[in-house]
Amino acid sequence: MRTLNMLEPDQKAQISRLSGSPPFVRRLVALGFRPGADVRLVRRAPLGGAFQIALGDSFIALRAQEAGQIHLELS
Amino acid sequence: MAAAAAAQAQRLLLTVGNPNVGKTTLINALSGSRFEVGNWPGTTVDRLSAHCLLQGRSLELVDLPGSYSLAATTPEERIARDELLRLRPDVVVNVVDAGNLERNLYLTLELSEMGHPVVVALNLVDEARTKGLSVDAEALSRELAMPVVSLVASRGEGVDSLGEQAMSAAGAPRSLVTYPDAIERASEELQRLMPERSERRWLSLAALAGESVSLPGPVKERAEALRAELGVDPFLEIAGQRYRTAHDMAQRVLERQHVPPALTEKIDRFLLHPWLGLPLFLAGMLLVFRFTFLFSDPWITFVGDVQTVFAGWIAGSSLPAIVQSFLSDGIIGGVGTVMAFAPVLFFLYLAMSFAEASGFLSRAAFIADRVMHWAGLPGRGFIPLMLGFGCNVPAIYATRTMEDFRDRLRVSLAIPFTACSARLAVFVLFASVFFPGHSTLVVFGLYLLGLAIGLTTAAVLGKFAPAGLSSGAMELPAYRLPTLRLTLRQAWLRTFSFIKGAGGAIMVTVLVVWLLLNVGGPRPEDSLYGQLSQLMVPIFAPMGVTDWRLVGALIPGFIAKEVVIGTLGVSYLGADPVAPLTFLAGLHQLGASFLHACWAFLNAVPQMFGLPQFSPPEPEAPGGLAGALAPVLHPAGALAYLVFLLLYTPCVATVVALKQEFGTRWAAFSVVYQLLVAYVLGLLAYLVLK
Repeated sequence: MRTLNMLEPDQKAQISRLSGSPPFVRRLVALGFRPGADVRLVRRAPLGGAFQIALGDSFIALRAQEAGQIHLELS
Repeated sequence: MAAAAAAQAQRLLLTVGNPNVGKTTLINALSGSRFEVGNWPGTTVDRLSAHCLLQGRSLELVDLPGSYSLAATTPEERIARDELLRLRPDVVVNVVDAGNLERNLYLTLELSEMGHPVVVALNLVDEARTKGLSVDAEALSRELAMPVVSLVASRGEGVDSLGEQAMSAAGAPRSLVTYPDAIERASEELQRLMPERSERRWLSLAALAGESVSLPGPVKERAEALRAELGVDPFLEIAGQRYRTAHDMAQRVLERQHVPPALTEKIDRFLLHPWLGLPLFLAGMLLVFRFTFLFSDPWITFVGDVQTVFAGWIAGSSLPAIVQSFLSDGIIGGVGTVMAFAPVLFFLYLAMSFAEASGFLSRAAFIADRVMHWAGLPGRGFIPLMLGFGCNVPAIYATRTMEDFRDRLRVSLAIPFTACSARLAVFVLFASVFFPGHSTLVVFGLYLLGLAIGLTTAAVLGKFAPAGLSSGAMELPAYRLPTLRLTLRQAWLRTFSFIKGAGGAIMVTVLVVWLLLNVGGPRPEDSLYGQLSQLMVPIFAPMGVTDWRLVGALIPGFIAKEVVIGTLGVSYLGADPVAPLTFLAGLHQLGASFLHACWAFLNAVPQMFGLPQFSPPEPEAPGGLAGALAPVLHPAGALAYLVFLLLYTPCVATVVALKQEFGTRWAAFSVVYQLLVAYVLGLLAYLVLK
């Protein structure tokens, strides 16, 4: 089992599960993260600490620790 | 009766949509730029509304804050949800980004369950095309069983047609999502327990998803029981089914062509580049800072010149001296103090709304997140903190771009510690007198001290009151050029609201200080101000400041920190007589000053892109003041005085800004807390250096 923070830039994967506190999971779902959705890690932030993720037709920023709550299926 | 009929004839239209889909632009287009900006009651979330005529009928437009869903994951979404349930809108206009259809349809599907008539405004179709996406509006309309209008709101395309649809739409939409049987049965059971109302289906699903909606006790209890029976988290089931429905619909109405990467991706490649990213970010920060302060400075000078001319006219009149002083120092001085904030706020609002609407602000927050995280703050707090070095007042208003209230509060309590440019003037004067040769070091050290104290304050407060959900999760929206007219109007409305809201308090402070200075006797030491200052001397004596004139100057410093220099000048050297002006000579000066301001304003353009200057400017103070100060203070006392001046109570405009944004209690806390910190550290500075 891998999580979103382990992807390399430009690598794609599919979300299998979300973890974390209920408000945080709701926030993720509102932004479009959900099991079955395809994600791509676009890049790490220039100073590190955060990730830019392509999700559907949008780009989302997530902190590394938050990206660790998004579990992936290997594709 | 007539009023009642008119009220009935007025239609209430709510706009709802994801953040960054052009809702404000649409309101602007629908209302012909006649919208108003305010706050949602009890919050500092911006509220846009307008009254206008559409299709010959009067219409009230209210823009609900940007929301991804009605699950209320942010304060904005909570307002949107509560207002949809509370107000009974005649029509809801759901603004949808054609370039991000699937996620936007999630909200549309939720709205279909709320039961209000919905018209879908399919916006940004031009931008979608550049991403290779085209949406068949007619097919979408059939899928949703709702009117769908294609729009490019920024160019006004499709706005009339949307207006027509919005004025005629009626009837509850069809609920569009079919959930697994167990959830449908549970939802129906809950709906039977609720009174007859159109939002029942949405409410029952929200209760099953475990959201905090207000429902009668028995319904709530039954919902909890049903949630437990359903086993797996019903929220994920419900949300998942909505997304599946949105996905299938989008597949059927969307045509996707492969195109080269859109502009947004190309710009991101530079701005978020591993090595280029940081220097470009710093350059961008510098640009926002310079734009705000370089463009406003000529107009602040102009406000000062206008004051001088009025004072000259008053001096040329035959009024008694005390009345002249009251008019020119009290009234004109007060109005001038208020007006001097208008340019800086106006240009700050321009810069901030450009940065926000263009998509740059989100990138800046993305990069700064790492740095701010050390103080437990989100990346968006970086820009307000940095603006504090120019002026604390606009910096506090700039915290509005942050989502969480507690994060905003912490940044706002840190801002008054950052050394604004008004304090710089005092630092430079004292440093040049008492630390010749080391003045740059002293001034720089004071800046660092202020920032360190501010960040420590924010970090410590964060330990006591952690933010509800301090998440770095945010969208990085597509880059867009905001509409100039809309940006200008928003900046103007907000500046005006500051003058209206804060003007009174600043005026009162200026008048109180005038009274202190003028009641008692003609010489400063006989005035109420002089007596009060002498009473305060024992408090400051432990930090080596024993001259009442130095202590006293801190009182008018509450109006604005640079006033300290003027007050010291008056109490050490005596007041400069105001040169009387004839009416014509005054007019001539006003004209010349205005032309000068225009010229300086134009000159600010090349200055914006010039190299930064690191040496502090020459002291701007009355010539003899430096000589008068030298004998009354030991350098250790001078440093203590500067540390105190850096950290003590924020100026009145900053206090008013804090009060407007966070209430009287926090504004008072800030004053008391800063006085304490300033006193302790001032004392420490004296003891260490002595």
